[in-house]
Amino acid sequence: MRLLYINNSGGGFADYLDVTDGTTVSQFFKDKMPHERPEDYLIRVNRQPVPRDYVLQANDRVTITPTKIEGAA
Amino acid sequence: MNDKELVRVAGRVQRALEQLRKSRYMRCAAQLSLFAGAWQDLVRQSHRLVVAVSRDWFAAAERSCKSAGRQLDEIPFLASNLQSLLDRRHREVPGLSVIADELRALQQEFDEVEFNHQQKALCVTTESITLEDISLGRFQVVLHLDDLNQMYQRSPYRILALEPNPAANDSAITHPHVSNEVLCEGEGGAAIRAALEEGRLADFFSMVRSILTTYNPDSPYVPLADWDGTPCSECGYLMDRENVGYCSECGDAICDQCDRVCIDCGELLCSHCARECGICEQPLCRTCAKRRCAHCESICCQSCLEDGLCPNCKEESEDQDDDTDNAEGTPEETDQAQDAGQSQPVPVG
Repeated sequence: MRLLYINNSGGGFADYLDVTDGTTVSQFFKDKMPHERPEDYLIRVNRQPVPRDYVLQANDRVTITPTKIEGAA
Repeated sequence: MNDKELVRVAGRVQRALEQLRKSRYMRCAAQLSLFAGAWQDLVRQSHRLVVAVSRDWFAAAERSCKSAGRQLDEIPFLASNLQSLLDRRHREVPGLSVIADELRALQQEFDEVEFNHQQKALCVTTESITLEDISLGRFQVVLHLDDLNQMYQRSPYRILALEPNPAANDSAITHPHVSNEVLCEGEGGAAIRAALEEGRLADFFSMVRSILTTYNPDSPYVPLADWDGTPCSECGYLMDRENVGYCSECGDAICDQCDRVCIDCGELLCSHCARECGICEQPLCRTCAKRRCAHCESICCQSCLEDGLCPNCKEESEDQDDDTDNAEGTPEETDQAQDAGQSQPVPVG
């Protein structure tokens, strides 16, 4: 199934992706950001917070935004 | 914002995004025109060169070659600027309902979201922010919709400190990464721009909040360690890191108005640790103050000491030398006296 994935880390990009049916938001995160901790990110599905075992649906919009971004001077 | 206002604001945001899109095309057109102008100049020089050569005008041919060379130098720069503008991903302006959804999400994510009609600005207030035990208060992120189309030249949003606790030495710095209400986005810059271009308002404000709630010690306007400044141990003046000096003996912080500098070795001293030369009264550090007059033992700086003596003792010593010399007389007088002694009779008995 297809969903829209918006990654606000680094350059920030939005793209459509295919994922297998039954993928939970927690598995999706682990798959996309294997070296990161979910608690360091704001994960939203269709602009709403969801529990980690939420099963992704076709056409869902998944947004991952870091909660720690280093500014500069 | 109620639903009616929300839709109205969404409409304004949509128009601002259309203007942003238009401004991007305008920049492309301007850059393309610059490139085309440079190219036309090159074509012109090519014609001139052909004419000059056909008539054996070698000086003119040389001028054409030089002009063409200058144009060629500019073309790669112009082409690269143009290419980066053309490569920028095409961003669709989202529909009204999508923007309205963004505004609803924003209201769920943040406690205070409002639209300032006078300034045409979407305002979002963060929670109170504390970094490394320094409370910086709440911040309002103000996105000026009219400035959105200028976002490649200047920031379209401001960061207002609602309960400001600025750096001790610069009231314009209300956060380690905010100066004059402008956030230095650091590693968040590209993602923030992308979110704004695509009208992802909730992502934009969330990322700005993420920067505000994170401290990057490697690149702040003012490090949090110096946020409250370092007071001068003598006058209490608050100094920033670049201006703070430390006494080389006791280590106390000292400002440039109160510090003393050892006249001999240049060490920085506070008034408590500084000794002074007994003659010129210039400051001296502990080590340099060990230099004393060999006679009276008064502390002396290097420039006041001569032959191991302070000027007073030196003068005295010279006076004594003169007296001795006077007492002993000049060698000629002595010789004469000796001669006279030899010629005079010595009384006996």
